[in-house]
Amino acid sequence: MNRIFVLISKTFSEIYSLPKFIISLVIMILFPIIIVAFPSAVDFGQISVSQASAIIAIAIAPYLFLITYGLVFTILIGSSGASLIAEEVSKGTMILLVSKPISRVKIFLGKYIALCLYGAILSFIALFIVCWTAVLSYSGNMDHFIGIIPFMLSMYLYSLFIMFIFVSITLALSSIFKKSRNASIVVLFLVIFAFLGFTIIRMFTATYYISFQLYHFDLGYHIANVFVLFTEVFNSLPPSIGWQLFFSMITGVYALTSTTDPDQYIILGGLDKNEYYPPILSLLLWVAIATLLLLYGVYKMKKRELSV
Amino acid sequence: MLKEKGKIEHEIWSDKLTKVYGKGDDAVKAVTQIDLRVEPGIHGFLGPNGAGKTTTISMLVGAISITEGRATIRNEKAGSVAAKQLIGFLPQDPTFYDKMTGEEYLIYMAKLGGLRTKEARKKAQELLAYFDLFDARARKIGNYSGGMKQKIGIAAALIHEPKLLILDEPTANLDPIGRADVIDKIKKLSDRVSVFVSSHILSEIEQMCKKVTMIDQGNIVISDSIANIKRKFVGNVFVLDTNMNKQLLKPLEKNENVLKVWLDEEDERIRIVPKDQEKLQKMIPKWIIDNNAILFGFHQPELSLQDVFMEIMSKKEEGGPTESNSDLSLNDRKKSKKEKSEKKSKKITFKEGDSR
Repeated sequence: MNRIFVLISKTFSEIYSLPKFIISLVIMILFPIIIVAFPSAVDFGQISVSQASAIIAIAIAPYLFLITYGLVFTILIGSSGASLIAEEVSKGTMILLVSKPISRVKIFLGKYIALCLYGAILSFIALFIVCWTAVLSYSGNMDHFIGIIPFMLSMYLYSLFIMFIFVSITLALSSIFKKSRNASIVVLFLVIFAFLGFTIIRMFTATYYISFQLYHFDLGYHIANVFVLFTEVFNSLPPSIGWQLFFSMITGVYALTSTTDPDQYIILGGLDKNEYYPPILSLLLWVAIATLLLLYGVYKMKKRELSV
Repeated sequence: MLKEKGKIEHEIWSDKLTKVYGKGDDAVKAVTQIDLRVEPGIHGFLGPNGAGKTTTISMLVGAISITEGRATIRNEKAGSVAAKQLIGFLPQDPTFYDKMTGEEYLIYMAKLGGLRTKEARKKAQELLAYFDLFDARARKIGNYSGGMKQKIGIAAALIHEPKLLILDEPTANLDPIGRADVIDKIKKLSDRVSVFVSSHILSEIEQMCKKVTMIDQGNIVISDSIANIKRKFVGNVFVLDTNMNKQLLKPLEKNENVLKVWLDEEDERIRIVPKDQEKLQKMIPKWIIDNNAILFGFHQPELSLQDVFMEIMSKKEEGGPTESNSDLSLNDRKKSKKEKSEKKSKKITFKEGDSR
């Protein structure tokens, strides 16, 4: 059997335990489920399937972004992955692994793939439950569930992007730090900084934010820009003040202005975007950060001196 | 350039193998340009704690990088995947996945070694039986005793059928029965696989090995068969047995023909390293009479490896060895001469101010 599969299987069994998985899942879906549990004022029997699907997607999208994939999924990846290398090194089991006929890069890859696999399964089940519950709660119409499949697809791909970023960062830190606790703490700080820290900075330094071009460093803005990119590519979230206002306050992707048709005096396409960065550049920026850290993590893993 | 592949002369071969920790003023040389030549069979790797044994082994198994020089395992570059396929390794104080059972752990290690699941299970059960762990195969390793853990560690090292077993202090932290058991297993294994075993417990190495390499402060002190080493050193030590061994120690220390003298802790006989062998042999009978003692015996002994080791170490360092037991600590040897003399006065006595 290929040795890397052996490692993936062993690492997956290390990360996965049914109680832990269920608890993680509950934390991921709890907030969006509470939100969709409140009955909607819309009469779903009177609107088309595409309108109904759009309303459901708009209702859950902000919470998927901020809570499910923003604060919870990322921290879960950080806490599950931080120990994968650092703890093996500090406990002394890594020395037995590296003395076996398998390269250190493969050991790293085995752990990386196992953590990705765990994240991909967790994310899929969480997304499915949230969307299914939203449809059941709002309309109970199976057609509406089918209608939000493009939205689910875009959200799932976005979650894989988040997973790639945070698995890379976590395993790199696990390889760099001697203690897994330090790696977890750095991931936690990064998540808080990205999703909450800059919200506060933006709020209190609105003038300086633009004049000093702080958006270059606003990790939350870049993540949200990528989120919006995914929804635009799949056309899965119609432009609506309903969710864009939330993104405006939390991430700064949208401005608090809108374009109005001068003839008919109606708002066109929701809020205007703050186009500090093209979304694709925001995506590349995050990919670059994660890839560089990943490569450094692999390098550290290769060079790490393992005391017996 | 590594040695040419083809005929395998040495299980382990190294050329000026060096390990330096740190850089600049903080640099510490842990191993200095050692040339290892390990042939098939069981080869002992001796040295006090801190001598560089574990550092050398760590370089050979690829756990740490080599600062300078080169090393091969059966002609494959040490630390490469190809070399690691050829070795089974048991580190000093091995740590295991405590939540795995003994059988699960061995199967996991076998698969990492390249065995298929069915093969891995069969091999794991064979080894569990060989190491008397079959009944404990379903128990979690965390619940194993120290001896059982050591045996599962050796079994894990053997599971992918390596050509060479590298064992770092395999009997450390074991009780006497556990030690004897592990030594017995290692001796039996030597029919199937070459063994490179490190230890600071010299009597154990003597039981297991025909050839040894002694290392101290990162340098090889001697490397030869135990028989040859003893032959080289036996000529320089004499055993004197009288009715008043303890009382004669001090007068002997002052004797001009004596370089070094001590009382052996086991047989309580006097050991003498002469300045001039012939003069000592001529002098002793008369000297015994002059001191009103009765001579029971005066001969050259069959040396133990420990005697040889002590002798070598005493030649290397001023003041000679500090401990009479076999746990020779580098740190202890660095203690002040005053401290040392207080300690050794109980069991071993050397001439004051002796310098070689």
